[in-house]
Amino acid sequence: MTEVSTSRRTLLTASAATAAGLTLGACGSEDKSDTATERKPGEKITLMFWTWVPGIEKAVALWNKKNPDVQVKVEKVSPTNSAQYAKMHAALKAGNPPDLAQVEYQNIAEFLLDKGLLNLADHGAAEYRSKFVGWQWEQVVYDGGVYAIPQASGPMGMFYRHDLFRKWDIEPPATWDDYETAAKQIRKSGAYIGTFPASSGGWIASVAWQAGAQWFRTEGEKWIVGIDGEATRKVLTFWEGLVRGKLVKTIPVTQSAWYADIQSGDIVNWIGAQWGDALIKGNAPDTAGKWRAAPMPQWERGADASSNWGGSTTAVFTGAEHPKDAVDFAVWLNTDPESIDLLIKGGYGWPAAKQGFQGSSLDEASEFFDGQRYNEVFAASDKAVDTSWKWGPTTVPMFQHLTDELTEAMNGNASFTDAIGKVQKLVMDDMKEKGLKVEAA
Amino acid sequence: MAPARTPTRTRTRTRQRSRQRVTAPRNRAAAGFLLPFCLLFLACFIAPIGYALYQSMLKVERTGALGLGSETQVFAGLSNYTHALEDDRFVAGFGRVLLFGAVQVPVMILLATVLALLLESASARGVVFFRAAFFLPYGVPGVIASILWGFLYVPGISPLVDVLHGAGWEVDFLSDGTLLWSIANIVLWQFTGYNMLVLISQLKAVPGDLYEAARIDGANAWQVAWRIKLPLMRPALVLTTVFSIIGTLQLFSEPLVLRPLTGNVDTGYTPNLHAYDEAFKSNNYHGAAAEAVLLALVACVLSFGFLRLVGRSGKGDDR
Repeated sequence: MTEVSTSRRTLLTASAATAAGLTLGACGSEDKSDTATERKPGEKITLMFWTWVPGIEKAVALWNKKNPDVQVKVEKVSPTNSAQYAKMHAALKAGNPPDLAQVEYQNIAEFLLDKGLLNLADHGAAEYRSKFVGWQWEQVVYDGGVYAIPQASGPMGMFYRHDLFRKWDIEPPATWDDYETAAKQIRKSGAYIGTFPASSGGWIASVAWQAGAQWFRTEGEKWIVGIDGEATRKVLTFWEGLVRGKLVKTIPVTQSAWYADIQSGDIVNWIGAQWGDALIKGNAPDTAGKWRAAPMPQWERGADASSNWGGSTTAVFTGAEHPKDAVDFAVWLNTDPESIDLLIKGGYGWPAAKQGFQGSSLDEASEFFDGQRYNEVFAASDKAVDTSWKWGPTTVPMFQHLTDELTEAMNGNASFTDAIGKVQKLVMDDMKEKGLKVEAA
Repeated sequence: MAPARTPTRTRTRTRQRSRQRVTAPRNRAAAGFLLPFCLLFLACFIAPIGYALYQSMLKVERTGALGLGSETQVFAGLSNYTHALEDDRFVAGFGRVLLFGAVQVPVMILLATVLALLLESASARGVVFFRAAFFLPYGVPGVIASILWGFLYVPGISPLVDVLHGAGWEVDFLSDGTLLWSIANIVLWQFTGYNMLVLISQLKAVPGDLYEAARIDGANAWQVAWRIKLPLMRPALVLTTVFSIIGTLQLFSEPLVLRPLTGNVDTGYTPNLHAYDEAFKSNNYHGAAAEAVLLALVACVLSFGFLRLVGRSGKGDDR
């Protein structure tokens, strides 16, 4: 769910972050009603910022050096198992949220239900639209309002063990049919092409997104839910074939068992997002020089359909006393080249700023990836992401439903398409529980 | 009491007077000592339960697709309760913990009893060391214990799985069928020593003359354990069993920690986990409150049911 951030470093800092979390509450305890005020010239303020991005403190320190009047204080929150959002929702309910927070694209609508996010268009955010990649900007726009400043994303691609593919004389699969053929060949050598991670809702959404699925949209007062649609069914039927044929494993990704398989060469391919590079490098350092990246396999040969997995924003919570300064900081953090450079070093993902990739340290040949300028794959992927995808307001429980129903199906009790039908029903129930009007697409 | 030298009437009067004198301050003192407990009990126990009951009977109504319109809390009657009871996974969670309890609690109590009797037997050696060793896992926080065992369960990392694989036995500790027992193993590892210690402390309270008398009467070690120790351990056995039943119903951190390792920990794996997901994943505090109340009710029924059951059979023994 928070795959973007689940690097080793994040996990290491997670416990420290939780400990730090206990000490907060000192800031923001003043009455934070809707009395947003313009800062008087020369007045010194401190903005509280909840985030979990590794290394973001360095970028914030740079801002603090340049802006002595608007100091930003970072509080790390734990991204494990959506714990950070539980904390944010609780803080909003208790009336003492931070000024700024890291919120993933997929969770924005959920915070709107809490009335937790300020419409930044009221504070001059709309003028920054042209600084960001089109589809990423669209992810923060709901009903004409701008509810966050985009930070980073995870355009999808494919990592594969170049050395083993060559040894076994297998081409990196260009289509999903090729992928199945390659899976069979790789099985003969004793390894697996990959895993079907039922517990990675974000990944399942991204492979459906690539096939043209549209899970959510709004129509006036109503939400239209299309999880149980043709595209998603096609994708899941394909994966069900691989699972039932024992051509893929079914272990969760970015967890210890999967890392062990990546190290040992038991799994030799990963349909993953750009930020996965840091995970492979960090967790399987001995495989340096053996990996390469290629575009995601296609449903139609020669197409260039792509999608995204993960990605987040800097949002301003309602109750922030100085929203204009908060917006200025959020825009600077995510567009300033020096800041982006520091964030890339920390491994924050793919820049949402248009100028973020070119000339950055991402735009270089990598020894780990066999000397390939592998990020060119993801730059092309980022440009091809279907921009019409929207997230619903119950993403966290929706991912849990996906895990539950697909796992049950894998345990032999139902087909994947039955499972997705159930997920659709459960998600619609959740939304009705929230007092929303919902209709099936 | 002092021997009666004064005439009876005088003595009675004096006593009455002194009682009057003593009672008021004594009551005040008692109230003073009880007050901190009562206040904390009210603030930390009664008030939250009342608040949960209140919350469980509300729901939110919103206007506008994005909830940007109005939002009102309205009275929902028992609809949160019916909704919870209609949720297959929530109900299945109860079935799962009951099955877990039916197997794990007896095994654990039996094991704890055996260990306690062994350590308290006359021929035991290295008692202090073994007592500490058996108790040690209880000192490891549940979350840490689950992480630790998690590593022993995950294929590709676990030496346990490797060894079994080497012996030609393919096991997946995290599969649909085995997971519950893998969790039972963690709980067993953690709490057997604790329960053993409770039982030992009860055994320590048994007067030594009883054993002496038994020996003089010609009872062997086995008979002493069966006829004297076990019956006298009864209160401690009841206590540990009740605590274990409640603990089983509240099973939470073990499945939560193992969840990232396998898809088989679904949202209703245990009732507590379901309530947690409802509150912190779905942000449906009202639904979560209703589920928590239901869980508390079931825990009450089971604990008091067990106490009644042993109470009745206990009276039977006294005959």
